Amino acid sequence: MVTIMKGMGQIILLCVFSLIMNKFVEVLHWKIPGSILGIIVIFVLLQTKIIRLEWIELGAKWLLAELLLFFIPSAVGIIKYQHILVDNGVRVVFVITLSTIIVMACTGLLANKIAERKEQKSS
Amino acid sequence: MILALFSLILTIGLYWGAKWCYKTKPKVYLSPLLTTPLLIVAFLLWTHISYESYNTGAQWLSNMLQPATIAFAVPLYKYFNILKKHATEILVSVLSGSVVAIVSSLFLARGLHLNTQIVDSLIPRSVTTPIAMGVSETIGGVPAITAVFVIMTGLMGAVIGPIVIRLLRIENEIARGVLLGTSAHGAGTSKAFEFSSIAGTISSLSMILAALITLCVTPWLMALML
Repeated sequence: MVTIMKGMGQIILLCVFSLIMNKFVEVLHWKIPGSILGIIVIFVLLQTKIIRLEWIELGAKWLLAELLLFFIPSAVGIIKYQHILVDNGVRVVFVITLSTIIVMACTGLLANKIAERKEQKSS
Repeated sequence: MILALFSLILTIGLYWGAKWCYKTKPKVYLSPLLTTPLLIVAFLLWTHISYESYNTGAQWLSNMLQPATIAFAVPLYKYFNILKKHATEILVSVLSGSVVAIVSSLFLARGLHLNTQIVDSLIPRSVTTPIAMGVSETIGGVPAITAVFVIMTGLMGAVIGPIVIRLLRIENEIARGVLLGTSAHGAGTSKAFEFSSIAGTISSLSMILAALITLCVTPWLMALML
């Protein structure tokens, strides 16, 4: 019970913080989304020990564990664009599949190469 | 009001059910991100409830994306030393991967003569939804369509990722994480955790980096390629 209260409290804290960040970028007309600014601010606050990890760790863990749930309403939004998908679906799937394979090959091979070279150097 | 509450409960309920299904039978086509929206779409079509009325309740879940994105600061902080240790391979590969994602989506989509609105909505498809939707809006796409493309990318990435890893013989855990996180955001990251916790951690870092990079370079790349 205490754990649930603690986790919930931390989630509320993160929500409030996220609202503040949104307001902040809105008022200052910054081009970056409030959530990205939020990641940076929380990260800096943790690094500089202004906030302690225990204050948000549990809430953050819960939010990240259920991340998929928060995407579902946007995915259901597909219902509004049925005609677009019926007309272009095959081509869209083709673009997504091929582009994803290209990105994977590029990042994977590059990271593998650099990591191998690093290992050779250190041995 | 009652309908709003109902759609909220329906979404969470179906999601829990789908999650349980996936746990007992972890097949890609049973991924909660695929089954839950499909069931809800079928339900809305059957009952003639409009998306707008469904979303009055369900948007509370979408609103949680913001704090959930901020929550990524926690793993970023916890594993910062791993990031520092492998900074070169992560930064170089994520940067090139993100640029390749934008450029290849743009050229493939244009090559297939998709209309501009769809092309622009496709461009940020490889990064996490909140950022992708933001980028989409900036460059003239439709955020809601982008959200659908992002999810399609995630599903596709989770299916193709392990195959690509096997075919290209990517045995380094760091490289596996970078590959999955850069190409398929959160869905790729949950797949990466199935490989190892290092791959998963690197994948979540790559996903955050890819989002930041895409956010910064997309408008600039678009201006370059017009």
